[in-house]
Amino acid sequence: MLSWLENQVVFSAVLSLVLITGMMTCVAYCIYFERKISAWIQDRQGPNRVGFLGLFGNFHFWGLGQPIADGAKFFLKEDIIPARVDKPLFILAPAISMIVALIGFVVIPWGGSYMLGETLMNVQVANPDVGLLYILGVGSMGVYGVVLGGWASNNKYSMYGAVRATAQMLSYEIPMGVAILVVVLASGQLRLEEIVLGQVGGNGLWNIVLHPVSFLILLITLFAETNRAPFDLAEAEQELVGGFHTEYSSMKFAMFFLGEYVHMITGSAFICVLFLGGWELSFFGIGPAFPGTGIEDVGLISVIIKIGVLAVKVAFFIFLFMLVRWTLPRFRFDQLMRLAWKGLIPVSLGILLLTVFGLYMGWQRSVLFNLGGEIAIVAATLGVVVLANKPVTGRQDNMPAVTQPLGG
Amino acid sequence: MIPYILYVLFALGGAAIYLAMPKPSGSQRRAALVLGVGVIAGLLALMSMHFVAPNSNNFFFYMFAGLAILAAGRVVTHPVPTYSAVYFALVILCVAVLLVIQRAEFLAVALIIIYAGAILVTYAFVIMLAQQSGAVSTDTRAREPLMAILVSFVIAGAIAGKIEQIDAVPVKMTAQVPQAVTDVPIETTLPATEMESGHTKAIGEIMFGPYLVVVELSGILLLIAMVGAIAISRKQVPIEDTGEPKLPVGQIGREVPPF
Amino acid sequence: MISDADIILIKEPKLSAADKLYLTQIAEGVKVTLNHLFFKPKVTVQYPEEKRKLRVDNYRGVHRLNRDPDDRVACVACFMCETACPAHCIHIVAAESPWEDREKYPQQFDIDELRCIYCGMCEEACPVDAIELTTEYDIVGQSRDEMIFDKEKLLNVYDQTKDIKPRKNPKISGYQGTGDREKYDQLRERLEKMVGEREPGESKSTGTEATEGNAQ
Repeated sequence: MLSWLENQVVFSAVLSLVLITGMMTCVAYCIYFERKISAWIQDRQGPNRVGFLGLFGNFHFWGLGQPIADGAKFFLKEDIIPARVDKPLFILAPAISMIVALIGFVVIPWGGSYMLGETLMNVQVANPDVGLLYILGVGSMGVYGVVLGGWASNNKYSMYGAVRATAQMLSYEIPMGVAILVVVLASGQLRLEEIVLGQVGGNGLWNIVLHPVSFLILLITLFAETNRAPFDLAEAEQELVGGFHTEYSSMKFAMFFLGEYVHMITGSAFICVLFLGGWELSFFGIGPAFPGTGIEDVGLISVIIKIGVLAVKVAFFIFLFMLVRWTLPRFRFDQLMRLAWKGLIPVSLGILLLTVFGLYMGWQRSVLFNLGGEIAIVAATLGVVVLANKPVTGRQDNMPAVTQPLGG
Repeated sequence: MIPYILYVLFALGGAAIYLAMPKPSGSQRRAALVLGVGVIAGLLALMSMHFVAPNSNNFFFYMFAGLAILAAGRVVTHPVPTYSAVYFALVILCVAVLLVIQRAEFLAVALIIIYAGAILVTYAFVIMLAQQSGAVSTDTRAREPLMAILVSFVIAGAIAGKIEQIDAVPVKMTAQVPQAVTDVPIETTLPATEMESGHTKAIGEIMFGPYLVVVELSGILLLIAMVGAIAISRKQVPIEDTGEPKLPVGQIGREVPPF
Repeated sequence: MISDADIILIKEPKLSAADKLYLTQIAEGVKVTLNHLFFKPKVTVQYPEEKRKLRVDNYRGVHRLNRDPDDRVACVACFMCETACPAHCIHIVAAESPWEDREKYPQQFDIDELRCIYCGMCEEACPVDAIELTTEYDIVGQSRDEMIFDKEKLLNVYDQTKDIKPRKNPKISGYQGTGDREKYDQLRERLEKMVGEREPGESKSTGTEATEGNAQ
């Protein structure tokens, strides 16, 4: 019956269709939950009015119809293209932003292998040799949407937003790449599926246990790469109106918006695959995997369980993204740059060096060596910071000293 | 015979670029486009006749090769620098696709990350910073179009003529790795069916095997260049003394603990 | 001039070693937001269904025109409110009163609730406490015209709110004009003479002219 599906290409095509649909729904509800969580944090109720056409009387399903209304609103709004903008690039920019965000997820292994009829399928749209680098490459293309949109808008606020975004993304790609390299070195693989297999319970520990600091660095840089608070300087409302998307309206704005959330989902899935065992469910890789989530489980039910496990992990990270957004104030730009260049890059390079040394000595699986070494590096960094007696996020040397009384 | 057709095509291509160059008197865009597309079609036709006939397998090669050449032409001829950068990115992407077709995924992705993701973004950054008040007139027209086109197309024609003389059958290039590193020589050009695992490992073993010294040397060179660039660009600008008397902290008023 | 004693110097806070890593401070902040997220009561008022209690009793909301005990409009069309109104949102057309106890009454009494700034000056100016501001604030309309409240609407507001907020000074019967009976009678005589010389239909136009003059 489903024999036509027993071909990885056809299967991948169907899977990508399903994933895009699912992703768009998820994104719509991410926006809903973003509004809800921000409201709850600020002791408000959040959207709770839009139900489903009032079909259920006065019961509004906690406003779950809101994403549909939001989407309809975006489609029906007037799409303004200001007079003096660079029209081709103005139209191209949101498309780039959206497409780049969407093609990132094809290499994410969503649910291990699936025995369909007689054939073993990868529940993954594509499994290239360089899956991990592919994500990095696609991520590095993401800045084009922001840069071109900001430049084409012919607006100084958009321009400043674009300039900030460029500098920020270029800077944070370095610690991101180095943090990922640590995993590559430790697992000896560039294929994401293989990286997950290396972390399945019984096979090995989750990478977060071995490289917690790398995990933290990757998480921080993901915040920066997705342009989320506290790194959302590109769209700092207080200073830049809307930043790079000041001039955008209607569906073009929505594409920037959706792109950001898709980026969030892909990034969360990526970090789960690299550090948290992807679709695998066990206690940090200690002991065997829970029934139904092992490598040998390739039935339909276990695939669904695996996808569910990854979805829960991704949902946790999305929640974290939102929580942090509504908790932390934005960085100042010099603080942002200093964090990347003087904080994250040296630490990540140190960890890289440590991992290479461990690899050379054959200690790459040793918890004691990796964990101890990373903690030692952080401690050393902290020691330098304390000895220098300068706050990491404080004032620079060449800024004038505060002599005038502040406030009062 | 074929080299001469190639030379003629290259000459026509050069003429097309010259016509499309932004000039104060206005450029002949339409003629340039017709000529350029004709040249690309001629090149691809020549290739398809002489080397590999187009089929469903190399359809993408012909498509992206043509697109890459067209985009490269626009990089040179577009009057707005930002567009040139965008077209350059398009060239990089097309070349990356060509590399993927050759099953060199690692090279393709590395090209995208380094060129499209870092270098070109930096270009765009600089262009945006430098031209906040619109393009300068010197940037919107070519300075020495004739000489530049002459030189570049003579070089390109010479290379193409030489390549044409190489036997059309794909050469099996074998990098002879010293026995001390590996027992078997690493084959970099394998038939597609044999390359399930891709090229990444092979590239790594070659780069850090026989060519280790070269790789490290180029790395050091880049590091030196970076240090030099920082040393040139970064100057400590002393904060000007405004002449206002600076009050020492705590001299007046009462101090309160922060927050 | 700020005296030295009033100047507060705030130095940058000294960060501990852990604080300089920034992560501990993030944890602190996340703790606060998580607490709010899960445990703090939500303060949103679900507006149309539930309303916040008014914080003051003399809240200045929509106007009303009071009725006297005989259910007539209490207004004597003196134009005091119209004159006092800083937003020029009150328009009165006066006419001769059909009742014995006063000389004029408002034939037409319009308040543009969209122009009104709810300052309460009209209420202050009114000599007979005929116009008052109620505590109602959720007045809606689908057009601008709908938001110009006429006499019936304003009286209607009184009918709806009189139980909540009784009229301050209900006594209107036996109202003696300006207080000086003799002068009042003389004025009335002269007025009647003037009105009598005109056509009956024109008598109303005096009020209209006055309104227009006032508006300018």
